Amino acid sequence: MYALTPMDAPVVDVRALRKVYRVTERETGLAATFRSFVRRRYREVLAVDGITFHIDPGEVVGFLGPNGAGKTTTLKMLSGLLHPTSGEATVLGHVPWRREGDFLRGMTLLMGNRSQLVWDIPAADSFLVLKEIYAVPAAQYKRTLDELTELLDLGPLLHKLVRGLSLGERMKVEFAAGLLHSPGVAFLDEPTLGLDISMQGRIRRFVAEYNQRSGATILLTSHYMDDVVALCRRVIVIHHGVLLYDGALADLAERMAPYKRISVTLRGSVGDLSTFGEVVSSNENLATIHVPRAQAAERTARLVRELGDQLADISVEDPPIEEVIDKVFASERPLAETTA
Amino acid sequence: MIRIYRQLLVAQIQAAAQYRIQALLWMLFSIIRPVIFLAAWTAVSTAQGGSVGGYTTSDFAAYYIALTIVGHLTTAWNSFEFEFEVRQGRLSPKLLRPLHPLHYSVVENLIWKVTTFLPLMLVCLVIALTFQVRWSGEWWHLALFVPSIVLAAALSFMIGWVVATATFWLQRINTVNTLLQRTSFIFAGQIAPLSLMPAALQVISYSLPFAYILAIPAEILRGGVTLERGLLYLVGQAVWLGLSIVAFRFAWRAGLREYSAVGA
Repeated sequence: MYALTPMDAPVVDVRALRKVYRVTERETGLAATFRSFVRRRYREVLAVDGITFHIDPGEVVGFLGPNGAGKTTTLKMLSGLLHPTSGEATVLGHVPWRREGDFLRGMTLLMGNRSQLVWDIPAADSFLVLKEIYAVPAAQYKRTLDELTELLDLGPLLHKLVRGLSLGERMKVEFAAGLLHSPGVAFLDEPTLGLDISMQGRIRRFVAEYNQRSGATILLTSHYMDDVVALCRRVIVIHHGVLLYDGALADLAERMAPYKRISVTLRGSVGDLSTFGEVVSSNENLATIHVPRAQAAERTARLVRELGDQLADISVEDPPIEEVIDKVFASERPLAETTA
Repeated sequence: MIRIYRQLLVAQIQAAAQYRIQALLWMLFSIIRPVIFLAAWTAVSTAQGGSVGGYTTSDFAAYYIALTIVGHLTTAWNSFEFEFEVRQGRLSPKLLRPLHPLHYSVVENLIWKVTTFLPLMLVCLVIALTFQVRWSGEWWHLALFVPSIVLAAALSFMIGWVVATATFWLQRINTVNTLLQRTSFIFAGQIAPLSLMPAALQVISYSLPFAYILAIPAEILRGGVTLERGLLYLVGQAVWLGLSIVAFRFAWRAGLREYSAVGA
């Protein structure tokens, strides 16, 4: 792993980062079209509004937000593609948008919907080009490629033309291409986008294992909460360019959804269960009840006791993470002090 | 850097090998225009008793064949390619790597020229025999042609990159490219050898970079310049190349600040 920063220094350090895009705007219709020839109208769009966070070495952090929240813009600034309007950031001790060689050799940005490989040649040949561009020593290249081939089961894919690969196969070789130079920081933007369930699981396992083996720091955006739950203990939530939450995923659930979900299956039809908690759904013999977290054990015991033989099954669980995240987006304001 | 270039060359040859017919067709397209002008000037020359402004029919043929070869060796399509890459989001992956995107174009450009050069020479040979070309140069014309064509190719390539950077601001640069091509058509010696142009147009031609890409190397190859003038032309080419490199570095740095990485 790259050791360009002191051991205890954050690998990613972002302070008051802000990005404003200037976009052209015009009304619909012929008259407006002619007017736009003479005078252009511009509007400023605030994509990222002064966010601050840092990520320590080896962390896997989920970067969450609805479409247009500013996630990808942030990742593009952190990978040096975009210049910010204001604010500061360092990644591996470098200012990303200066695009210094050591910085570019130390990080990767993988976008689920974008290809970085040459379509008309086999992936193995693109890999050799990348080996030289990143100046990867031969022994290290072989070791890394063997490891990635094993983790991603690349064997049969390496010598096929890239344009002949399926989406899932292509994502696997894209991952390998992005990681051949053993980057210390990986920005993953929707890495499982469009993949089937099995391939999503495979990519998730790969990211987790890669993080463990290499100690790389990973910042991941995904609309699939399964990705986040499987990989990230910490999440950063952003909405309308503003950072709403930065802390443990488990704490987020506790703070935004201070209840547990009790699901009961009865042998007969469901009666009035409102004395046990808030009945959020009820359907023939199935019911879901929300109860305050602190009282979950007591209410469950009461349900078992009072329903007796009527009760066929009962389960107690946290609300789904999608529901929790929706509540954060809906709040549209920062959640107290960030914890990271 | 040599190792990078070697590997890029291998990859690019593999990619190019899949589009052989397309490469040949592009090469043939590039021949059509000079051949049309050659035919026209031959007709004019014949009608005027075998010579126009000191150019015999054979001189015209030599000039336009030289212009075809020079045009082939100096062509650069990177500004068209660059706009496409930006719009398709294909520039960003290149910007993420520790290698300037310009190097990929250098290799792509070289491969196309090298792989289509032999067929081009065969076509030129047929034209030369058809029009009974007589080469009137000295050995030093050929010696002068080598640095001249290298400078011309580099100049054409760098101007292409300067234009390409306009994409950062304008998003679509087809019109800029078209304007440049039309200007080059008039002032680069494609319509006629520069010495046959009206005096005012000659002044403009020698003040713009386009003639240093096409007409001047073609005149050198044809053996149509004195040694002193040839050396002066090389200096002119070097000055334009230097200016284009400075302009590119400035425009690239400023352009990257504007880059919005759309679609990527």
